Amino acid sequence: MFSTLPMKHLRIQLLTGDLPEASLILAELGVFAPDPRPILETELPSIPGEDYRHLYTQARSRFDKIARHVAYTDTLDNKEVHAVSEADLQLTNDWLGEVWSDCSEFEEERHRLRDQLHSIDELEQTLDNFSNLNIDLGRLQQKSRFLEIHIGMVARTQVKQLEEAVGLAGYLLYRFLEREARTHVIIIGALDGESAELKSVLDTAGFRPLQVPEALHSEPEKAKTSLQEQQTDLQQRQQQLESRSAAWRTSIARHLSTAAQTLRRAAPYFQVQNAARNQGSLSAIQGWIPAREVVNAEARLRQKLHNPLVLESRNPTEDERPIVPSFISRSRLLKPFSLLVKQYGIPRYGEVNPTLLFAVSYILMFGMMFGDVGHGAIILISGILARRKLGSFTLFAVAAGISSMVFGLLYGSIFGYEHVIHAIWISPMSDPLYMLSMALIWGVGFLVLITLLNIINHLQQNDPSGALFGENGILSLLLYGGLLWGTFNIYQDGAFGVGAAVVALSTLVALFAYKLMGTASPPGERILVAAIETLETVTGYASNTLSFLRVAAFSLNHVALAVAVFTLAGMMEETGYWITVVLGNLFILILEGLIVTIQVLRLEYYEGFSRFFAGDGKAFKPLTL
Amino acid sequence: MNSSASQTYLKTRVNIFATQLFTDNRILELLDMPLEELSGTFGLTGIIESPLSPQKLNHALEQSLLHSLMSDLSVLLRPLDGTSRVLLIYWSRKFALFNLKTLIRCKLNGLSLEEISSYLHHLPDIIRLPHEKLLQAENILEMLHLLEHGPYQSIARQARQVYEEKNEPFSLDAAIDRSYFQGMVKYSNSNSQIDRGELKELIGMLTDRQNLLLLLRYRFMYQLSSSETYYLLVPFGKYLDRNRLMELVNLDSFQSVLEKLPPKLSRIVSGTTNAMQARQRLDFSLSREMRRLIRFSPSPATRALAYLVARDTDLKRLNALLQGKLLGLDSELVHEALMPPALQEAA
Repeated sequence: MFSTLPMKHLRIQLLTGDLPEASLILAELGVFAPDPRPILETELPSIPGEDYRHLYTQARSRFDKIARHVAYTDTLDNKEVHAVSEADLQLTNDWLGEVWSDCSEFEEERHRLRDQLHSIDELEQTLDNFSNLNIDLGRLQQKSRFLEIHIGMVARTQVKQLEEAVGLAGYLLYRFLEREARTHVIIIGALDGESAELKSVLDTAGFRPLQVPEALHSEPEKAKTSLQEQQTDLQQRQQQLESRSAAWRTSIARHLSTAAQTLRRAAPYFQVQNAARNQGSLSAIQGWIPAREVVNAEARLRQKLHNPLVLESRNPTEDERPIVPSFISRSRLLKPFSLLVKQYGIPRYGEVNPTLLFAVSYILMFGMMFGDVGHGAIILISGILARRKLGSFTLFAVAAGISSMVFGLLYGSIFGYEHVIHAIWISPMSDPLYMLSMALIWGVGFLVLITLLNIINHLQQNDPSGALFGENGILSLLLYGGLLWGTFNIYQDGAFGVGAAVVALSTLVALFAYKLMGTASPPGERILVAAIETLETVTGYASNTLSFLRVAAFSLNHVALAVAVFTLAGMMEETGYWITVVLGNLFILILEGLIVTIQVLRLEYYEGFSRFFAGDGKAFKPLTL
Repeated sequence: MNSSASQTYLKTRVNIFATQLFTDNRILELLDMPLEELSGTFGLTGIIESPLSPQKLNHALEQSLLHSLMSDLSVLLRPLDGTSRVLLIYWSRKFALFNLKTLIRCKLNGLSLEEISSYLHHLPDIIRLPHEKLLQAENILEMLHLLEHGPYQSIARQARQVYEEKNEPFSLDAAIDRSYFQGMVKYSNSNSQIDRGELKELIGMLTDRQNLLLLLRYRFMYQLSSSETYYLLVPFGKYLDRNRLMELVNLDSFQSVLEKLPPKLSRIVSGTTNAMQARQRLDFSLSREMRRLIRFSPSPATRALAYLVARDTDLKRLNALLQGKLLGLDSELVHEALMPPALQEAA
C-alpha cells in the first residue's frame, strides 16, 4: 500500500505449441505483464504467432463492428477454459466475416429502401410543383427520336458547375425545385450521340434520377395511386426487412456470444506479441510478475500444461529499474484517490506510492477549508444518492462530506450559522491569526513529510547523493529546518540566533558547492546557475510554506461568505430572508465547494507531488482474460 | 498571447523559417553536392546508409522530409486560432488524403495489412486518419463510410457517391482532389477581413496550378470529354476563372491550351510539350510567388501558408534530388528536372 510491489523478471521456456495455453493461464492469474524487449533474440530469433495475431485482429475488428448492431452476452463459462487454436480462430474469423457481410447487406438494404422512399417523396414534390402547368413530365421522360431528357436531383452546391459542364456537351439544365441540400433539375438536349458523355458527367456529379410514372398526364389519379402503392410497398418491405433483421440477430446472438468468448480466450496470446520468441518448437515467454506470485504462477503452469517447462525468475537489474512496471495494490477504498494520483503520473518502480498520503491529506484539507456540518451533510447525502453516476467516486464524496461535517463541529458551523452549535475547537473568525498559524504548522508538517518521502525514494533508487544533496534532500531539509528555527527565534526573541544561522548557512554553502560541481559550463555561468538554483531552494520552501495559508484563508472565507449571505438576508422580510439563506448556501456550497476541491488538488500536486514524485513510472499492465 | 503579439510572433517565425527555403543558387549548389554531403547537410545520413530496400529507403526519406514539414506546421499553428488555424490544418490534410488514396489502391490490389501500413506516412494526430480502422474495413465503400464521421466527412461522402456510381479508382481520386480544393476555397472565404483577400490570392494560385495540370492530364492523357473534365475542375482560380476553363477544356490539343492561357500562366508553361514539364515550371513559379507573399503579404496567416507551400515544394525537390543521386541518374537529367532550362537562364 505504501510502495510498489517487488517485481521479478520471469522467463518461461516451453514448447511453441503450449504458448497460447500458457498465455491464457497467465492471463487468468492477471499478474503477468509481457516484456517485449528482444533479450532472447540471439537464441530465439523468431517471433511466433504472426498469423494468429492477424486472424485475431481481423476477427476482433469484425466482431466489434457486428456488436454495434447485435446484442450478445459476454461472460466466460465457469468451466475450465482452454486456449483457442489457430484453426478455431480461423473458423471464428470466417464466420464473423460472413455475419458482417450479412449485417452490411441489411444496412445497405435499409439505405436503399430509405433512398427509394426519399425519391418518391421528392417525386411527389416535383409533381405538385408541376401540377398547375400543362406539362406531361411522364412524356418528357419517354424515349424520343430527337430529344434526350433527364429529370433528377443533384447536390445544391454542385448545380452551377454541373449546369456549365452539361452546357459544354450541348445540354441545358433547368432548376425547378430546391429542397434542403438538393436541387431538382431537368437536363435536356438533342439526341445526337453525346449520351455516354452526359451519363459519365452525371455519374461523377452524383445525379439521382427521378422516375416519373408514365401515365401521369393521361391518368394523373392513377399515377398518384401508383406512387402511393410504391410507397406502401416500400414501407412493407422496410417492415419485412426489420423482421428479418430481428430474426437474424436472434439467430446469431448465441453464436456471437460464443465468438466473444473465443476472442477473449484468444486475446492473451495476441497481447503477448514480441514477449514470446521461438526457434522451431522451442519457445520462451518473458515478462514481469510480482515476486509474491511467482510460486503460484509456476504451480498453475505446471498443473495445466502437460509438456515440460523451465521457469526462471530473477530480480530486476539496476539498469532495468526505469522500465520495471509499478504494480500498485488495488484497494477499493482508495480507488478514487488512486485515479486522481494517476492523473499526475505513475510512481516509478520502488518509489513510495503516494495514494494513501494523498487520500488522508486531501480529505483532511478539504474539511479544514470547507468545515460546515450542514454543507458536509449535503455533500455526503448527494454522494450517496448519486452513487450510480459517481461510481467509485462515491467514496470520495462521502469522505469529503464526513470531513467537512467533522470540521464543521470543530468550528461550530452549520449552514453558515456560527452560533447554533458550540465550536468544539474554535470558530475561525474568532481568531484569524491563530487559524493562519495553524495552517502554517500544517504546511510545515506536510512539506517535511513530503521531503522525507523524497529522501526515501532516492535511497530506494540507490541514489544516496541525491538523497543527501539533491533537491528536497537531507541538506535541503536541514536548510528548511534552520530557516524555520531562525524565523521562530525572530518571532520569539527578535533575532535569528547563532545555532539557526550556523545550520542554515552551512547547508546553504554545501548545497551551493554541490550545485557548483554538478553544473557543466564556464566558471562564471556555473557560479550564476548554482547561486540561482540554491536561492530557488530557499524561495521554493518559503513560497510553498506560505501556500498553505490558503487552508486557513478558505476556512475564514467560508465564514465571511456566510456573513455576507446573512447580511443580505437580514435586509429582507421573513420569506425573503429564508429564500436568500437557501440560495446563499447553495451558492457557497457549489462555488466555494468547487474552488476548495481544486485548491486542495493544487496543493497536493504542486506543493506535494512535485517535490518527491516524478510520475514517470510504467503502469503494470498484466495479461487479462 | 494577444492578437497583435501572435501576429508579430507568427511573422517573425515565418521569416526565420523562410531562411531555409531554397534559393535558385542554393538549388544549383545542392545539385553539385555528392550524395554523402547532401544527406549530411539535411541530417539524412542515417537513413541513406541504412540497409533498406530501394522502395523502403524512398519511403523512409519521404517520411523524414514530411516529418520536418509537419514540425514546422506545428510551430506555425501555435499562435494561430480561428479560421486561419483551420485553413492551415485543412491544407495539411492533403497528406492524409495521400494516405487515403494509398489505402484505397492497396486495398484494391489486395495487399496485406503490413504492406499497406508500410506505405502509409506517419502524420500528426490532428490530421491523421484512423488507419487501424480503415485497414480493417472489408471494402472501399466501408472505408469511406468510416470517414463520414469526422473532419473528412464531406470529402468521404462525395467520394463514396462517385464510387457507388462509377466503381473505379480514377474517379475516386478525382473526386477526392476536387472536394479537397473546394474545401480550401470554402475556408479561404470564411477567413477574417485582413486575411481573406491575401489567402484567396494564394489559394487561387494553388487552384490554378491544380486546374491546369488536371486539365492537361484529363483531356490529353485520359481523353476525358470536355464536359467531364470541366466538372472535375475547381473554377475559383486566380487567373483561370469559369469562362477561361470552359474555353480551355473545349480545345483539342496540348499546345492550343497553352496558347490560350492568360499571359501570366502562358509565360510560365510556354515551350513545354507535356504535363510533367508543365508541372515542373508551375512548381518553380509557385515557389517564387510564395516567397514574394512571405516577404510582402500583410496577412500573417497567408505568410505562414505560403511558407508551408514553398517548403513542401522544396522538400519534394530535395527528395527528387536524393532519389536521382541514389539511383545514379544522369546529373543533367536531375538538373533539368529540378530546374527547367528556361528557368535556369532566369536564375
